[in-house]
Amino acid sequence: MSQENIKNASDLARAGAMAADINGSSDEPSMDKKHYRVTNWGIIKNFRHYTPEERKHYSYIFWRRFGEGIWPIFRGLLIFGLAFVILYPIMYMISASLRPQADMHDPSIMWIPKTIRFDNFKDVWRAINYPNVLWSTIQLNVVASVLQVGACAVTGYGFARFKFKGKKALFALVLLQIIVPPQIIILPQFNLFRYFDIFGLLNALTGDTISFINTNFSMYIPAIFGNGIRGGLFIYLFRQFFRGLPKELEDAAYLDGCGPFKTFISVMVPNAASSFLTVFIFSIVWYWNDYFISSMFFSNSQTISLQVSGLATTIAVWLTGQPGIASDYMVWVEAGCLMAILPIIIMYIFLQKYFTEGIERAGLAN
Amino acid sequence: MNENEKLVSENTPKTEEAAEKAELTAQPAETPAPVKRSAHNTAAAAAFNAAGEDVDVRRLKGEKRERKIKTNKIPYERKKHLYGYGFIALWFIGSLWLFVSPVITSLAYSLNRTILMDKADALAAGYTNAGIHLEWNNFAHYIKAFTADPDFPRLLVESIGEIIPQAIVIMIFSLFIAIMLNQKFRGRTLARAIFFLPVLIATGPIITVINGDMASQGISGATQFSSLFKTDLVSDLLQFVGIYNMSPKITQMIEEMTSNVLNLVWNSGIQILIFLSALQNIPPSAKEAANMEGATAWEFFWKITFPIISPMIMANLVYTIIDAFVSTDNDVMNLVLKQSRLGEYGYSAALAWTYFAIIGAILGVVVLIVNKFVYYENE
Repeated sequence: MSQENIKNASDLARAGAMAADINGSSDEPSMDKKHYRVTNWGIIKNFRHYTPEERKHYSYIFWRRFGEGIWPIFRGLLIFGLAFVILYPIMYMISASLRPQADMHDPSIMWIPKTIRFDNFKDVWRAINYPNVLWSTIQLNVVASVLQVGACAVTGYGFARFKFKGKKALFALVLLQIIVPPQIIILPQFNLFRYFDIFGLLNALTGDTISFINTNFSMYIPAIFGNGIRGGLFIYLFRQFFRGLPKELEDAAYLDGCGPFKTFISVMVPNAASSFLTVFIFSIVWYWNDYFISSMFFSNSQTISLQVSGLATTIAVWLTGQPGIASDYMVWVEAGCLMAILPIIIMYIFLQKYFTEGIERAGLAN
Repeated sequence: MNENEKLVSENTPKTEEAAEKAELTAQPAETPAPVKRSAHNTAAAAAFNAAGEDVDVRRLKGEKRERKIKTNKIPYERKKHLYGYGFIALWFIGSLWLFVSPVITSLAYSLNRTILMDKADALAAGYTNAGIHLEWNNFAHYIKAFTADPDFPRLLVESIGEIIPQAIVIMIFSLFIAIMLNQKFRGRTLARAIFFLPVLIATGPIITVINGDMASQGISGATQFSSLFKTDLVSDLLQFVGIYNMSPKITQMIEEMTSNVLNLVWNSGIQILIFLSALQNIPPSAKEAANMEGATAWEFFWKITFPIISPMIMANLVYTIIDAFVSTDNDVMNLVLKQSRLGEYGYSAALAWTYFAIIGAILGVVVLIVNKFVYYENE
């Protein structure tokens, strides 16, 4: 509001109040209340006396303050409610896994079982030979994830920092790998690993092909080539990570006489450590949870996910000697599920800080 | 390194020397003016030296003009290209072997009759090794899928009809949650940790058990949910806002959506994560500037937040659609897997390819439409 437009003293005072309001609201939000000369109630009371311009101004202040007051309450309620929805199935799972099977159909039991029993866990532990399965799963996951993350990082770096002919077409192949569902290529891949051969050489030399089915190699080999579970996505993520790093880092290393590969190992990898961790956790989680691809490559259920998906039958056979109806063995299934996710959750709790940091800092975005 | 250089530089020029001597003896009078060239050459040589190349600028005995620069290695730019190929070589070989070839094979399966043979059968039939062998059958699988299959066309339409609205709801929901989790409040770390929990669990077989639990609980759990989120609260809210009976269809849609809140929350973990990281890219100065100008939160969202994260909205939408189509509880995918378990490899491949072609077409349309609203900073 310019000086000429102000005609009398009261207008001047109002303009001063408006200016104070504006200053108060923008510069020092913490001192809001002292600087506002009008309360929200005052705005409502005097609203009809205001000029149109003031109305616009004060209604802005009113709604802003109103929103600032009420939004945290609303947000808190919403977050609490949704967190409840997320935790509910897990709480139910814990509750169910501690009951005897008979209590599952008892309508008087909601959350707390009448008798708490840990036998379900013990039974599952013995039935699926938990330590063994856990060890083989961890082994498979960690080796495959390390190989996969390494291969994808190298490839992603190649796409992020080098110019070469056909780069766009090759990157389109990466995108295609993200889009094409594994269901389409799993059968030919199975065929590849079941009758493994190198251009017919093995068949000619030894008279037969090798089968990698039921060996960890059927998971390791794709991982080495960056073609494991969601390999395309990891290459894409790494490309984004490395593009975000400043170019000066490498130029300095090149001037010091490092070759590109040495530069990558000694300069880029340490600088992208948190991104590596993020992708590594993703990779572990996806390998851990995968049961579609592993059900194709392993017929002997040696991973935890495979065990969990067939747990009802395993338990039934272990307890009674014959397969039964899944719903009769729910408490054991719940216990098995908890045992299956527990290692992942423990890992998540320990690495949670780095995980969220890595995502935030490296910027999955762009 | 030094020794190596010497070795190389001594080795290669020998043939050159011989060739050049021959040239000199043949045409001694026609040697071009040397001075300019040598000056030019030394400058170039210095440049190459700075780039870490080995350059040979020695004079030959008894020769006045300076020799052409001979680099022992490939020029720097081309070398960088080659390193680029080097970095992606492993992946590329693997992709040809484990991705491109299976894709082509699977396409071939879908067009042929497939016969699984063991070693003895294969040898008897005239093949050299065991495996799946093919016989051409004129698109019969594709024709069968649409004319003779009792389930496929129906499931296809149903799954498309379900997934598109669901994807849109997931997008809006996860963006909303991400914006909330991006604000500062007490207990934010805990809230984030809880909201990321589905990322850890929802891709595994455990989600099937959880879904089963929630469905089978019937009396105890489901009513709790419904009294919290479904009929009572939501319809009350709708009535309060005054849109309860505006249109029965809308009411029904909203009620379905809210009663499905469990699925919604459990399926949007990764989307929330991606949006949250996109929101971190908004510079704090933008927020300050907007505050100074007196922008409301609403205006800030539409004029600053939305354009900045719009590329991620697109990426997220594509991810959501693919994830929903490919997930193991999708009916069409289950049909495909059932067929392949029955040994009908060709037919199952044909179903998968039909399905994938349709997904591809839908994705293409979605990308084309959404791309109009996406703001790219670099352009």
